[in-house]
Amino acid sequence: MIRLIRYARAFIQIIKLLIRDKYGVAGLLIISMIIAIGISAPYLSLPDFNSTEFPRLEPPSLEHLLGTDYLGRDMLSRVVWGARISILVGFVAAGLSAVIGILLGTLAGYYGGLIDYVISRIIEIFFMIPTFFLALTLAAIYGSNIYMLMLIIGLTTWPVTARVMRGQVLVAREFLYVEAVKAIGASDLRIISRYIIPVSIQPAIANTILQVGNAIMIEAALSYLGLGDPNYPSWGRLIYEGQPYVATAWWTSVIPGIFLLITVLGINFLGDALNRILNPRISTRNYT
Amino acid sequence: MSLARYLIQRIFQSILILLIIIIINFIIISLAPGDPIQFVAGDIAISSPEFADYLRAKWGLDKPLHERLLMYLYNIIRGDLGYSYRYSEPVINLILERLPITLLLTLTANILAFALGVLIGIYSAKNLGRKIDTLSHVIGLLLWSTPSFWLGIVLMIIFSVNLKILPATGMINVRNPPQGIWLYLDIIYHSILPITTLTLITLPLYFKITRDSMIQQVSEDYVMTYRAIGFSEDIIFRRYVFRNSIIPPITMFGIHMGFAVAGAALIENVFGWPGVGRLLLDSIRTRDYPVILGIYVFVASSVIIANLIIDVIYALLDPRIRITGRR
Repeated sequence: MIRLIRYARAFIQIIKLLIRDKYGVAGLLIISMIIAIGISAPYLSLPDFNSTEFPRLEPPSLEHLLGTDYLGRDMLSRVVWGARISILVGFVAAGLSAVIGILLGTLAGYYGGLIDYVISRIIEIFFMIPTFFLALTLAAIYGSNIYMLMLIIGLTTWPVTARVMRGQVLVAREFLYVEAVKAIGASDLRIISRYIIPVSIQPAIANTILQVGNAIMIEAALSYLGLGDPNYPSWGRLIYEGQPYVATAWWTSVIPGIFLLITVLGINFLGDALNRILNPRISTRNYT
Repeated sequence: MSLARYLIQRIFQSILILLIIIIINFIIISLAPGDPIQFVAGDIAISSPEFADYLRAKWGLDKPLHERLLMYLYNIIRGDLGYSYRYSEPVINLILERLPITLLLTLTANILAFALGVLIGIYSAKNLGRKIDTLSHVIGLLLWSTPSFWLGIVLMIIFSVNLKILPATGMINVRNPPQGIWLYLDIIYHSILPITTLTLITLPLYFKITRDSMIQQVSEDYVMTYRAIGFSEDIIFRRYVFRNSIIPPITMFGIHMGFAVAGAALIENVFGWPGVGRLLLDSIRTRDYPVILGIYVFVASSVIIANLIIDVIYALLDPRIRITGRR
C-alpha cells in the first residue's frame, strides 16, 4: 500500500514536471485529445463506420465533415473509430514490448555471464535484420487479425528497450546499497524488484512512450500494405483504401494520415520531454 | 589484443550471427501454414496431384525441414540463393537486377539526407536554445512523425495531380519510351518524387544525431581546457568538436546503408518503383518463399558487412578498441 502511494506520488511528480515542459504539455494535450476521441467513438452518434448508404467519394461537406470514401462510408466515423484501433494497438504492442525488453534487459544486466551473452547476441541480431520486414512477413504468413498484429509488433520491437535497460542495470548493480542488501541475504528477486528496477527503469519508460508511436506507425504501414485487420478501419487501412482515388478524392487518404501524423507527433513530443526529465544526463539518442 | 585477433574474432562473430539469422528466417518461413504449391500452381495443383508432387520434388519440398536447411546453407556458400517459384529464375539474379534501381533511390536520398541533416544539426547546435534551433527541432520531430508512405501520397497529389509537373508512378515513360541519354534523364525525372520523400523522411535521423553529439562534445572538459588556453571558438570547432561529433552520424550512415535495400519498400510501393522492396512485397503476397528468404539473407549480409567495416575503421582509428575489444 505504501509502495503504491509512493508510485502514485512519483507519477504525479512526473506529470508536474511534464506540464512545465513546452513539449510535454503539447504532447499530453494531443494524446489526451486522441484518446478522448477514441473512447467517445461509440457515443458520438456517428453513422456506422461500415454503412455504405451515402453517395460515393463525396467531398467534405456539412453533412459529412470529412467526406465519404469509395464505398460511400462516412469518413469522419471511420477516422474516429480508427483512433480507437491505432491507440489500442500502439499501447498494447508497446506495453508488451516494454515488458519483454525490461525483463530481458534486467536479466542480462544483473546476472551477466552466459545469460548476458545470449541476450546481448539476440539483441544484436535484431539490430541487424530489418525488423519491419520481419513483422511484415509474420503478418502476411500467420494471419493479420488485430491481436496478432499487437503480438507481432511487440515481439519485434523489444530489443531497443532491452538494450537501454541492460545499460542502466549494469550501473545500478554496482551501487553500494545493492551490495549491502546482498550481504544481508536478500533474494535475487527481491533485489531486482526493489532495488534494481526502480532506480534504472526511467529511461526505459521514456523509451516505451516513443515505442507507442513506433508501434502505431508499424501498424499503419502494415495496414497500408493491405496486411492489417480488414474488419477495423485503422488509419493505415484508410490510407490504403483511399490511395487509388487520390487523383479525384484526396481526402480519403490525406485526412487519416493527418490524424496519424498528429498522434505520433504528440507521442514523440511526450517521449522527448520525458527523456529530458527522467534521463537528464543521457541525450535522447534512441530516436526510435 | 592484437588488431588481427580482434578482426578474426569480429569476423567469426559476424558469420555466427548471419548463420542464426538465416536459420531463424528459414524456420519461420518454412513453418508457415498453407502449401506454397497451392499459391503458385493454383487450381492445377488440386486437379492434378501428380503435377503438385512433381513441383514439390523439383523444389525439394518433399524432404524434411533439417535436410532442406542444410541444403540451403550449402547452396548459400556457393552463392546460390535458390530458385523463385514464380519467376523460375535464380533468386540472386532477381535481386541483382533490381538492386541498382533501389540503390538509385536509397543511396541518393541517404547522401542528401546525411548532408542536409548534418549541416542543419551543426547549425542548430551552434544556436542552441535560439529560435532557429527550436524551429529545426520541431520540424525534425514533425518529419520524424510523418508516415513515409503518406508523405509520398501527399507529394504526389501536390506535384503530379495538381501542379502536373512531375510523374506520379513508374520509372520510365512506358507509353513512349525514350532512347539513349533521354532514357537516363527520364529515369532521373521519375525518381525526383521518391527521392524527395525518402530524403525528407531520413533527414531528421541525421539532424537529431548530429545535434545531440555536438551538444555533448561542446560540454566535454577538453573544450573548456582549449578555451582556457585561448584557442578561438572557430579553431576549437573545426579541429576538435566537429571531428568528434561527425562520428555518430557517419556510423548511422553506414548502418542505414545496410538497410537501404529494404528501407525504401514502402516508398517503392507508393510510386510503383520496380526495386528490391517491391520484389519483396510482391513475393510476400504470392508466397514466393525462396525470394523472401533470399532478400533477408542479402539484406542481413549487407548490414553485417557494413557493421564489420565500421568496426574495422574504428579499430584502426581508436587504439582503445584494439586493446580492450570494446567501444
